[in-house]
Amino acid sequence: MHPTLSPRTLLTRTAVATVLLVLVMLLCSLIGPQAISLKAVVSGPTNPTAPNPDYEIFVRVRVPRIILAALVGAALASAGVIFQALLRNPLADPYILGISSGAGLGVILAVISGVGWTLWGRSPVAVFAFVGALGTVWLVWGIGRITGKYHVTGLLLAGVVVNAFLSAMIMFLTSIAKSQQLYATIFWLMGNMTEEDFLVLWVGGGCIVAGIVGLFFLSPQLNIISVGYHDAKSVGVPVERIEFAAFAISAFITAVAVSLSGLIGFVGLIIPHAVRLVFGPDHRQLLPLSTLAGAMFLVLADTVARTIVAPAQLPVGVITAILGGPFFLVLLVKYSRKVYWLA
Amino acid sequence: MGKWWFLLAALVLWLACGYAMLQPGKVDASTSVRDPRASSRIVSMAPNLTEILFALGLDDKVVGVTQDSDYPPAALAKPRVGTFWQPNIEAVIATKPNLVVTLAFEQQRELARRLKRIGYDCLGVNIEKIDDLFSAIAAIGDAAAANEQAQELSGRIKTQMHRFQEATAGLPKVKVLWVVQREPLRIAPRDTFINEMIELAGGENAVGPTLRNYPPIGAEQVIAAGPEVIIEPVMVQGSPDGQRRQAFAYWQKFTNVPAVVNKRIYVIDGDVVSRLGPRLPVGIEIIAKCLRPELFGD
Amino acid sequence: MTSAIQAEHVTFGYGRDKPVLQDLSFQVQTGTFLAIIGPNGVGKSTLINILAGQLRPQSGAVLLEGANVRSCSVRDIARRVAIVRQEFVPAFGFSVMETVLMARTLHYGRLGFESGADRELATRAMELTATTEFASRTLGNLSAGERQRVFIARGLAQDTPILLLDEPTSFLDLKHQVQIYGLLKSIQTDKGTTIVAITHDINLATQYCDQTLLLYPLGSRPAEHPSYRIGKTAEILTPEEVERAFDVRVFSAIVGNQRFLVPLGARAGNSSHSGRTS
Repeated sequence: MHPTLSPRTLLTRTAVATVLLVLVMLLCSLIGPQAISLKAVVSGPTNPTAPNPDYEIFVRVRVPRIILAALVGAALASAGVIFQALLRNPLADPYILGISSGAGLGVILAVISGVGWTLWGRSPVAVFAFVGALGTVWLVWGIGRITGKYHVTGLLLAGVVVNAFLSAMIMFLTSIAKSQQLYATIFWLMGNMTEEDFLVLWVGGGCIVAGIVGLFFLSPQLNIISVGYHDAKSVGVPVERIEFAAFAISAFITAVAVSLSGLIGFVGLIIPHAVRLVFGPDHRQLLPLSTLAGAMFLVLADTVARTIVAPAQLPVGVITAILGGPFFLVLLVKYSRKVYWLA
Repeated sequence: MGKWWFLLAALVLWLACGYAMLQPGKVDASTSVRDPRASSRIVSMAPNLTEILFALGLDDKVVGVTQDSDYPPAALAKPRVGTFWQPNIEAVIATKPNLVVTLAFEQQRELARRLKRIGYDCLGVNIEKIDDLFSAIAAIGDAAAANEQAQELSGRIKTQMHRFQEATAGLPKVKVLWVVQREPLRIAPRDTFINEMIELAGGENAVGPTLRNYPPIGAEQVIAAGPEVIIEPVMVQGSPDGQRRQAFAYWQKFTNVPAVVNKRIYVIDGDVVSRLGPRLPVGIEIIAKCLRPELFGD
Repeated sequence: MTSAIQAEHVTFGYGRDKPVLQDLSFQVQTGTFLAIIGPNGVGKSTLINILAGQLRPQSGAVLLEGANVRSCSVRDIARRVAIVRQEFVPAFGFSVMETVLMARTLHYGRLGFESGADRELATRAMELTATTEFASRTLGNLSAGERQRVFIARGLAQDTPILLLDEPTSFLDLKHQVQIYGLLKSIQTDKGTTIVAITHDINLATQYCDQTLLLYPLGSRPAEHPSYRIGKTAEILTPEEVERAFDVRVFSAIVGNQRFLVPLGARAGNSSHSGRTS
């Protein structure tokens, strides 16, 4: 059984995980459908007379994509931790309250309406996805609050209902869409990673990192909140305020992640579980470690997705599910003594 | 509470820096003047684009083609850069191109956007109808300093494609059902280049105007359309006899359709007819032979 | 001396036509051990929640150490009163030690961690409730009684002048029942903590609790009589009043100088109502 957490343990573990993440990111940047050599990369950028494709590929294609994968993985995993804590349910994931169907609806509306304007050169699909995701989750939150402050079940049911309704809308719109639009929508919904440009990474990354830091501020209180509403209140935690803040930030970073890379499942559900199995449920540790583990996991999954059937690319969501499932089973068996809810 | 304000301030500062540093409005202004004669390393992202490039005599400048670019045979020797549906951007970059030609389909538009962002010159052409083909040939000729060849190629194609139309002028049009997929049944409707080919071959589409491209249709629409000829293009490599037998077996149940009664169901090679490129006249010829075997033989 | 808890005309109902508590006014002096006794559904848990500031009465006020609960923040309330409820198994597998330490959430340092003093309090609370041996086990791996003791330890670790408990011994075996009440009593005498405990065990109440608040079901007493009585335990828990409140026959026996009340069921026969042993 794990001993209680001390600041020193937390710091050590977080530092090790960070170093590991950086190593993984560097290593994966060197792997891809095109073989590139580290020497060629290091020898510097292109000049027009002697183009250096290795450098171009590394810096313009691989690194931005890997940074994006790390950001999205971190966002989804940390949001997963929060949603599981708030809903007091180990089966929660960031999409459970309607973000996925809201984003999907936004995407298909953008594609069908043929809105042609670009936001700084980028298609409006991402923006529609973001707005759809955020709008839906607020709707669900509002409905959930009507059923009572501490009735988590009400919130979950509202999520299920809204998800179902929006999914029906998506199916309807899909059936009348032109085939090209269809392809674009499905492709987007299955999760995709491309190398984004600097501005997108800057803005998206800034939002995600800021959000995660905010969640770190809230993590000490999440322990007692994840035990129970009344328990937290009796101990002096302003539960409504903290739950609202945690929810708002998690919904926001999930919406950003979804608008950047489509719907990538599994990360938000399984990474918190895996970390909890190995290190315990203390959120002061669970949150930073899940964030880093999520980033690592998605970078690895994306590397597999873009190399395993090169030159074709699998949707990264397929890989997260295929990789994640057996990995989680192994963890489960190994640490099953710790898992009380199987007893 | 203070730490929250600090966090918010840091985020705002971060975003402001990003905005200032990059001035995102500028990204769109990429219309720098390009010298067509500098197009010495060209990559083609679609099989018909490859055919056009070779037909324009630019074969030695082509440094990368998609996996499905199988015509002309010389194209098979060129380095591969992924497929039409799944382009491999890394392979494209590895060929050190100075011109990448793409089609205007969504996933290729995305590729073009990505390449431009990285700093490569891209030419995107839309080839949906026969007229588009000629504009595309002209545009490619422009971008690669091959204007004369482009004009000559276009002229050649135009002459050849009208040959069958002239030969069948005055004859009644043969009603054709063009089946792209059997289950569920999908057809090529009026608003496609395939229909244009059919009309140039002396036929007309048995089905009236439809809402979508390549829509699924039901059995009653087939019977109402009453086609005299059914053409099924197949892409799959398999014995043509086997496929013909399958087709006949499938259409048996449509006993009141003239095409079935008269056994005029043709299974043809899908590659040539589905690729709108320099081999357009060849495709039209194949169709014409199906419509009037007595006139054009085979 | 300000009373630790003061209830003034507290009225509460779940919905307009379902009144539960009507016009309750009483004081609990600092350092008292009060038992709240009454039949099921009479509003004991509701009252405890109101005293802890977690439910708002329709009318009336509750004062904790002189401060009106309504004007206190959640933190202020948590500094004054800790509440121990029914045990349950939480969704995530926290260990006993982690659970008890959570009581110190209010006092976390800047990095969100407990100090040495916090750990001391938690360890001490676990010693008092005999849960130290479970320190690294998860709550799901304990029996209900053991869990209840953990929850009590958590309440103790909060280190407040007032401690409210909702049936703290309902799952405990006889030995631990006596132990917990002994523990509560010692906390009362050693630290001067004000303790309010809802209990079904009348006899433990008579042994350990100085005062008792007896709640009657609404409508069971004539209109001019209030639906509750509060006072010294011996005066409140008389056989007649207990019979009236619980609608059950009791047998009263004296052991030493304590009176014990035993409920009589249908098969107990019609023996006399009281007996005495020395």
